[in-house]
Amino acid sequence: MAKRSHEDQSTVDRSVKRLRPNHPDRLSQLSDELLLRILSYLSVSDLLLCQRLSHRLTSLAGDSQLWKALFYDRFVRPRASRIPGLRDREQSAKSLSYSSKLSKWLDDDHLVRRGNATNWKRQYRLRHNWSRGSANVSETQLAEHASQPPLLVRLHDDLVITADPVAGLRAWALKGNDRLIATTPCCSDKKDRSAGPTSLSIDGTQSRNDLVNISVGYDDGSFTIYTLQRNERRFACRYAHAPSRNGAIHAIAYASPYLLTMTAAPLLSLYRFRYESDEASSGLELSSETEKTVDTIPNKKSRIDREVPYRHVQEVPDGSCGNEGGVDHNTLIRPPTLISSLRSHTAYPPISLAIRASPISIVASIAYAMPTWTSGWSVGLQEIRIAPSGSIIDSRMASAATRGALSLPSNPQLRTVAHNYNTTDLDQQLVNGVRMTLGSKPTSLSYNHPYLLSAHPDNTLTLYMVTSNTEELSIGVGSRLWGHTSSVSGAHVGDRGKAVSVSAVGNELRVWELEGGMSSSTSRRRAATGEASVRVRPGRNGPTTETKTENSLRAHVGAVTGSRCMQEQAFDDSTVTQGWVAFDEEKVVLLREKMLGTQSLVVYDFE
Amino acid sequence: MSETQKIKLMSSDSAEITVDRDVAERSVLIKNMMEDIGEQAMVEAIPIPNVNEAVLNKVIEWCVHHKGDPPATNDDDADSRKKTTDIEEWDQKFMQVDQEMLFEIILAANYLDIKALLDVGCKTVANMIKGKSPEEIRKTFNIQNDFTPEEEDQIRRENEWAEDR
Repeated sequence: MAKRSHEDQSTVDRSVKRLRPNHPDRLSQLSDELLLRILSYLSVSDLLLCQRLSHRLTSLAGDSQLWKALFYDRFVRPRASRIPGLRDREQSAKSLSYSSKLSKWLDDDHLVRRGNATNWKRQYRLRHNWSRGSANVSETQLAEHASQPPLLVRLHDDLVITADPVAGLRAWALKGNDRLIATTPCCSDKKDRSAGPTSLSIDGTQSRNDLVNISVGYDDGSFTIYTLQRNERRFACRYAHAPSRNGAIHAIAYASPYLLTMTAAPLLSLYRFRYESDEASSGLELSSETEKTVDTIPNKKSRIDREVPYRHVQEVPDGSCGNEGGVDHNTLIRPPTLISSLRSHTAYPPISLAIRASPISIVASIAYAMPTWTSGWSVGLQEIRIAPSGSIIDSRMASAATRGALSLPSNPQLRTVAHNYNTTDLDQQLVNGVRMTLGSKPTSLSYNHPYLLSAHPDNTLTLYMVTSNTEELSIGVGSRLWGHTSSVSGAHVGDRGKAVSVSAVGNELRVWELEGGMSSSTSRRRAATGEASVRVRPGRNGPTTETKTENSLRAHVGAVTGSRCMQEQAFDDSTVTQGWVAFDEEKVVLLREKMLGTQSLVVYDFE
Repeated sequence: MSETQKIKLMSSDSAEITVDRDVAERSVLIKNMMEDIGEQAMVEAIPIPNVNEAVLNKVIEWCVHHKGDPPATNDDDADSRKKTTDIEEWDQKFMQVDQEMLFEIILAANYLDIKALLDVGCKTVANMIKGKSPEEIRKTFNIQNDFTPEEEDQIRRENEWAEDR
């Protein structure tokens, strides 16, 4: 005993000598305020180390205000200084919220506006991972064989919606173990034909995140509306539209109550759904959306069946009904009114449709690839403004301007015929021919105002900035984006000028920061040298997090290739990526097709 | 008026220190007190109950050296502060004290509201943290590790994203 205590004593003595006698933890005795002041001088990496010191320092070094400043210094200020004209103002602007027309500011403004709800450390990490192109990769096998027409995928928050003829419409969660949320056969009711989904759109106007409205267009010209009820893990079929002779629906856009379709014809149709029947009218004329009750459903449905030539839809059992804006999410929607139908001779796939609502009107936009008779392809954009009453206010078109463009006389054959309204305006506004600088037909087109991005087989992308205001609709000069080393098969531009693109061979995924367009010479130079993008690299801590999902996927999908953390070189050439990508702030999803025809969904998670 | 006014400060351990008024007024606290109590401050010592003699002398030493500095702006915005932890040479030497004194200076600067001195103190501490491993930082300040190994490992993994690879 005595010896033992002697030993202990000597150990203590030695450590005391090293640490100075009874040296108290003066740092931790400081107030939060003073500690934060000290921490404000630390770099990101030092802050993260400090979080490992003690519980108190974990929370202090994770303080949102510290990270807000770091976020601003790293991601906002450098960008602001790149915008011509903002440089001077920046000096005086201390807050993040100084306003600017440029989307740049609209950008992170949403984070600032959320106030305390914004976790700035998380935002910083997200942006950091984006800028580094580092993401966790997980792969989910969707189908053993390639489907024809190909599988469609859309991303909505943490949800992926896929549609193909074999497995039907499916919803996948990107988080958690339980990935497959719901599935429904596409047109289970069909007996005599095999319609495959050709287009897919998610209603972005839906405010409740447990309910997601989805529209699917088919190769027979029909389309259906589903509501995904997340909590009940099922799709409710809300409406099915009859097949049409105008051919497959190449593109669809849905922003309740409006639906926009583009068929192979190519015929553009704009529909509006109404949710309440007007008993006095024919059944197509409907009134207020707010009075619908469950009681009226059987009555109305029978009348629909009798009077309206539309396809029989899947019976939906009456369950608990989520009500939003008086719309019952279990019941059928009345057939929509066809507001307008336009036949275009200028629009060729790929086509990107969009609907956006402004206070006074709804703007339906069609971005399309456009052949020009001087050889080559350009992009065009048509905007149709519709009053809430349903009447068309105006329609206008624009095509990409070219640097030093030759203006050719309008070709009479390239006429857009408007069925429901006066065509004169259209003829006058119809694109003056523009000499193409870009010869190849785009493989993919993505329009998210004000960005219009097209992908080309010649390893490049072209970014156009769209101007849309009361005076004019115009597309700026296209800027080429270099960086890919093989043909670009798909590209998608998101809300904040952030874009992703994927190459057909080699599975090269790039993320782009396109904010503010390519207006400055600096950004043009960066684009030209391929610096505007970062090639995505999978994160290194992927495998640990993926193991769980693999099991759950096996349970649901039956066959799973497994999720793997791929090294950059692990992108093997035996896989071909389909021209399809989607993303939001945190994730990029792409569809990959192996040579054997196996399709899988690859999720890059930047979080 | 032109000759420098002297005032007296009374430390927490009842030591009286005579100091030039303009030096003492580097402290916003003292400056405001002088405005409030006026002429009486010329007669009686101003009590500084939170700061002992040794620390107060050290603070005054700093104020004397920085007498000619432009007055500190009220702007406490993070942007207006230089984000670097560079410290001028004289201040570096000044801050070569034991940790006890260093933290006392920080507390005194905070109490007396001498922003520039507070910044120097905080930067000095930040520099003691920089580039060290968590274990080294713990040793430096004798911070008690109140994590279980699992908890610490979890935080380490959560923060891995920022590491260079």
